[in-house]
Amino acid sequence: MTELKVVGKRVERVDVRAKVTGGALYAADVQLAGMLYGKIVRCYDYAHARVTSLDLSEAAKCKGVIKVLGPKDVTQKEYNASVLDMMVSADMRGVLGDIDDQSIFTDHVKHYGDAIAAVIAISEEAAERAAEKIKVTYEELPVYMTAEAAKQADALQFRPEKPGNLAFQLPEMAFPDNAYAWGEVDKSFDEADIIVEDTFYVPKQKQCQMEPGSYIALYDDQERLNCWTSTQMPKLVQKKLANLFELPMTRVRINATVIGGGFGARLGMVLEPETCALAMAVPGRPVKVLSTREEDWVTSPSRHPGKYWMKMGFKKDGTPVACDAKFENYKGAYYVDASGTAFTTGAWLGGMYKFDSLRYRGESYYTNQSICGAFRGYGNPQTNFVMEQMIDRGCAELGVDPIEWRKKWHKGVGDDGWCIGVPYNSCALDECLDRAAEAANWTEKREKYKNQTGTKRRGIGVAVMNHTSGAMPMLLEHTVCDALLHQDATVTLNLACSDMGQGSHTTLRQVAAETLDFAYEDIHIATGNTDAAGFDIGAHASRTLYVGGGAVKQACEDVRRQLFERAALELEEDVDNLYMEDKIIHVKGSSNKSISVQTIADQGVNNFMNPETGELIGQPGQIQGYASFFPPHNAPPFGTTIAEVEVDMETGEVKVLELVNAHDVGRAIHPGVVEGQLDGGAQQGLGMALTEETYYDDKGICQNNSFTDYKMFGPSDMPKMTNILVENPDPTGPFGAKGVGEAGLVPPVGATANAIFNAIGIQILEAPITPEKILKALEDAND
Amino acid sequence: MTSRVMRDFDLLLPESVPEVLELLADHKDNCAILSGGTDLLVALKFDYAVDNVVSLALVPGLDDLSFDPDQGLSIGAKVTIADIVKSQDVKTYYPALWQAAKVFATPQLRNTATVLGNIMRASPAGDCSLALYALGGDLQLKNASGVRDVSLDDFWLSYGVTARQSDELAISLRVPPPTAGQKSAFQRMTRTTEDLSKINAAVSLTMADGVCQSARVAMGCVGPTLIRLPKVEAMLGGAEITEDLLGEVSDMVAAEITPIDDIRSSADYRRKVAGILVRRVINLALTEGNNQ
Amino acid sequence: MKKHAITLTVNGEERDLVVPSNRTLLDALREDLGYTDTKYGCGTGECGACTVLVDGTTSINGCLTLAATMDGASITTAAGLAQDGNLHPVQQAFIDNDAIQCGYCTPGMVLKVVSLLDENPTPTENEIRSGLEGSICRCTGYTKIVEAVQDASNRMAGVGE
Ligand SMILES: Cc1cc2nc3c(=O)[nH]c(=O)nc-3n(C[C@H](O)[C@H](O)[C@H](O)COP(=O)(O)OP(=O)(O)OC[C@H]3O[C@@H](n4cnc5c(N)ncnc54)[C@H](O)[C@@H]3O)c2cc1C
Ligand code: FES
Ligand code: FES
Repeated sequence: MTELKVVGKRVERVDVRAKVTGGALYAADVQLAGMLYGKIVRCYDYAHARVTSLDLSEAAKCKGVIKVLGPKDVTQKEYNASVLDMMVSADMRGVLGDIDDQSIFTDHVKHYGDAIAAVIAISEEAAERAAEKIKVTYEELPVYMTAEAAKQADALQFRPEKPGNLAFQLPEMAFPDNAYAWGEVDKSFDEADIIVEDTFYVPKQKQCQMEPGSYIALYDDQERLNCWTSTQMPKLVQKKLANLFELPMTRVRINATVIGGGFGARLGMVLEPETCALAMAVPGRPVKVLSTREEDWVTSPSRHPGKYWMKMGFKKDGTPVACDAKFENYKGAYYVDASGTAFTTGAWLGGMYKFDSLRYRGESYYTNQSICGAFRGYGNPQTNFVMEQMIDRGCAELGVDPIEWRKKWHKGVGDDGWCIGVPYNSCALDECLDRAAEAANWTEKREKYKNQTGTKRRGIGVAVMNHTSGAMPMLLEHTVCDALLHQDATVTLNLACSDMGQGSHTTLRQVAAETLDFAYEDIHIATGNTDAAGFDIGAHASRTLYVGGGAVKQACEDVRRQLFERAALELEEDVDNLYMEDKIIHVKGSSNKSISVQTIADQGVNNFMNPETGELIGQPGQIQGYASFFPPHNAPPFGTTIAEVEVDMETGEVKVLELVNAHDVGRAIHPGVVEGQLDGGAQQGLGMALTEETYYDDKGICQNNSFTDYKMFGPSDMPKMTNILVENPDPTGPFGAKGVGEAGLVPPVGATANAIFNAIGIQILEAPITPEKILKALEDAND
Repeated sequence: MTSRVMRDFDLLLPESVPEVLELLADHKDNCAILSGGTDLLVALKFDYAVDNVVSLALVPGLDDLSFDPDQGLSIGAKVTIADIVKSQDVKTYYPALWQAAKVFATPQLRNTATVLGNIMRASPAGDCSLALYALGGDLQLKNASGVRDVSLDDFWLSYGVTARQSDELAISLRVPPPTAGQKSAFQRMTRTTEDLSKINAAVSLTMADGVCQSARVAMGCVGPTLIRLPKVEAMLGGAEITEDLLGEVSDMVAAEITPIDDIRSSADYRRKVAGILVRRVINLALTEGNNQ
Repeated sequence: MKKHAITLTVNGEERDLVVPSNRTLLDALREDLGYTDTKYGCGTGECGACTVLVDGTTSINGCLTLAATMDGASITTAAGLAQDGNLHPVQQAFIDNDAIQCGYCTPGMVLKVVSLLDENPTPTENEIRSGLEGSICRCTGYTKIVEAVQDASNRMAGVGE
């Protein structure tokens, strides 16, 4: 490859000036003339109840109230806030059994915080005060907080279509025996010399993106539904809203505002349906709905918690012969991503090691918890916590070094990836492991931490992971990009890819500049307007750079091709005989025959006539590149983390001392952006491993939907971080890049658990691994 | 569940202590004093309701933080946690208080939260309150008819309930002067660095020739109020502090506390680590708790 | 409910307004005066998105301050840090060190760092980290923010210029 000029450089991010001066407009910052405020009334008294009466009359009389809406005053259509159903064919939807089971307001409360009614008023205060006047009475129903409870024979059924409250299991038609599997697992276990088996619990972690859900909707004079939202998926939300309100897509417009963090919480719809329903009730007036932190917590999806059973068999020489696993997740009150996570949790498991045979079953059970959906990693962190601890247990029994074992048995190029039948086409995990081991002083520390005594004991642990760049071939991957060449030879890219802070607009701009051989400053990315932008799936599955970048690259190549064709005509030369330097197209071997991009671009737009000759000057037509891009693969990122911890044997407290992350990123289009993803991912991974979990009481009332009661790693808790970027260009990625958006979160989870195992010799089966659990385990071991 | 808009109340902005006292006398129970507001405003966003809020913002003369070797430390009603952290005198003579202030909440909150507000809140987790409990102190409570002194030992009655009458304003807290050989320390355990304590402990020991003359040992999050541990104090008083004694002390702690389960920790865990924390805070006082 | 006529000097501009008793400084800035650079993240003092400076250096939580108690105060928001079109060294350091991702924490974070460096111009890494407590960032893992603070500290001391 020729030398890269923009790719690989730490350019200034596109949006940071606006962000650092406070000029960036998030949804809550948008003020429109005549704005009204909506307040949604939710049930915070019960997690499962039937509404027996709803009296809106007092609220309607309150000062400043414009309208009060109950379940009957809005569309009766049911919907599914997730967008997975739009990423598969109608047939596949049938096979998966995806259903629409949410309504705007409900008379059957299924979780703490379910929506009952709403007030529209002239101010937020008036709306809040009136909302307090809405009188609801309930009939309490039994609550089912776990899969075990929900599947009992006498449990109330959440949906008639889903007997046994089994929202989803891998469908027989696509997965014989309801399992994602290869080989003959039961037979393989007979060959095993060592078998390890346990049941784990993985927690309900919350994204805690810093911007709580904020929305504005306006049903305008042209009978168009406008919605201002910081969704990760503007085009799919546009389509979802069009379906829900039975409007053509031309009459639904998403104004995508700056996103204050997503991590999956904004994947699909959150409160867009409610906000739009309010706006439809007051045509011509914008309605703003602002969530409190606690409300955002229980209305946007969380990570799927649940019981995760796993059994592995090894031969004495270390050969992994069989892996059997089952993840029963406590889905929550509505279907949303029931199918997706139940599948991918196993896919990541299947994509990691060369087991002779493997069988994974994934089941999603309705429960009276708030909904679960996408969260950075999408099943992978759950699998990492369980799989990587089981591997380390196996290694301990085999007496082999966990890094050596992983190097020998992880899947690589040519092996089936996370999707059986789609082999990996690049993998630099060995290099990641070697470099991480060296940077972390693995061998020396592993030796040193044997046979410790004393109150503070250290441990060092490793975990690896595989992930994906885009969800192809499981789900549709598609991005449309227009690249418009202006007469001054700058380019505006028009596409719907969103930037949640992960830096995608910056890296997409770098890809464009590099492809065109223009300056970074020559490119502008126009996003945020679904009227103008073509299709894009949205930001999920670490795909924006990989798929969006592919689209940008193709559209820019199209511009470049047109430029060269025109230059060829003007210079009367063969295209192959031309080259570009500093935005001037030259004829090879001829120093004076050239034409600037600026001239071509300008003549294309201002195609004037030469007054003397009467001939048109230059080639007519504004150049526009176009791509409707479907990626050929899913360029798998791999990565490893080595964690070092110190455990206080008297209190069970864990201090994380250092994380060394080494990731196969294909190519770091912007190293700072990649490091930022790994750093931020690690903060969330450590949280999942050590502190983050949503707690409910036995009535299903959430106990910690606030930053006061739910604790994340803060600046002083974060360890020393070392990030190693292993650049092994993927053959299909733009300039070799792979997706890195989720990867950083995953291996810190397993590595931290394994470091604790190394320090205390005991595995803690429930995440988060709190001091309480460690102390209990230490005591149990002494008994 | 908080509300994005606080409930209705009238904010009153008196400009002198007598004016405050008048308002308190008028409104009695239907009135809350607003100092730093870091507890009160959060409560008002939850379900606490009161019609009148009396702010101390414009009241002069309440921000005195002064130390005198003979009189001790005087902390005015408006002295913030940040003021404590910045005070060299506190750092030197009352290490327990300084250590509590240092880890208290967040920099922003330390700039507004007050020491007296922390005491008035009567939380069983209050960090500065706990350090002061170990150090000992008298509150000056003032109403329209006069001032009375109440020892911290008698101030916290039950969860959130104090000996303050509704018409009284806490004017200041006086902490006794440091005594020769006094050593103090504070330590807490939290889920993450920034958090309310899940358990905390503070001690003040008077040492002479390696023997503990007297001890005050206080703990938080192990009962409905902050508590002192009289049996532990008795064990320490007059004794040489050896590792063996600390082992016995550690065992005794569990017998003196009544922790509960809550979101931050479990009763069981608190019982298990309480003794360890006390042992550690005593060691900290002995090694770093000098009052000079 | 009682209303209060107050004057706030925000980013050097004097503004008169009337606020009801229960108006927080955060809402007064955002809703009444249009300083939407001050953010709501939790409303309960935990996240620091609402951080503003009083008298140029003291950081406070706008969500836990009643506007009516701030009559006469001088408030700085992130929008007021740049001087004559030049970013404050802390802002520039945040950009140069890639310490900004979604940016929602950023306005409060940079203000907090301005106050941190005012109090302690040459903080150690540990001092920086404990100084950052109370400003939650869910994107960066704080690593690059810590680096930005170190860089800003050097710039403000004139090191390496
Ligand atoms: C995010 C966060 C973190 C926190 N972290 C900690 C922590 O680490 N440790 C800790 O101990 N606390 C912590 N707190 C609690 C709180 O900050 C403290 O209790 C604080 O000291 C209260 O002081 P204030 O001035 O803000 O009180 P205010 O909220 O003004 O008042 C508290 C109570 O005392 C009454 N009151 C105040 N002053 C007087 C007076 N002079 N006379 C009579 N009554 C009065 C008020 O009416 C009110 O009932 C935290 C709070 C938050 C929001
Ligand atoms: S909004 Fe004020 S601290 Fe979170
Ligand atoms: S940059 Fe997103 S919260 Fe800090």
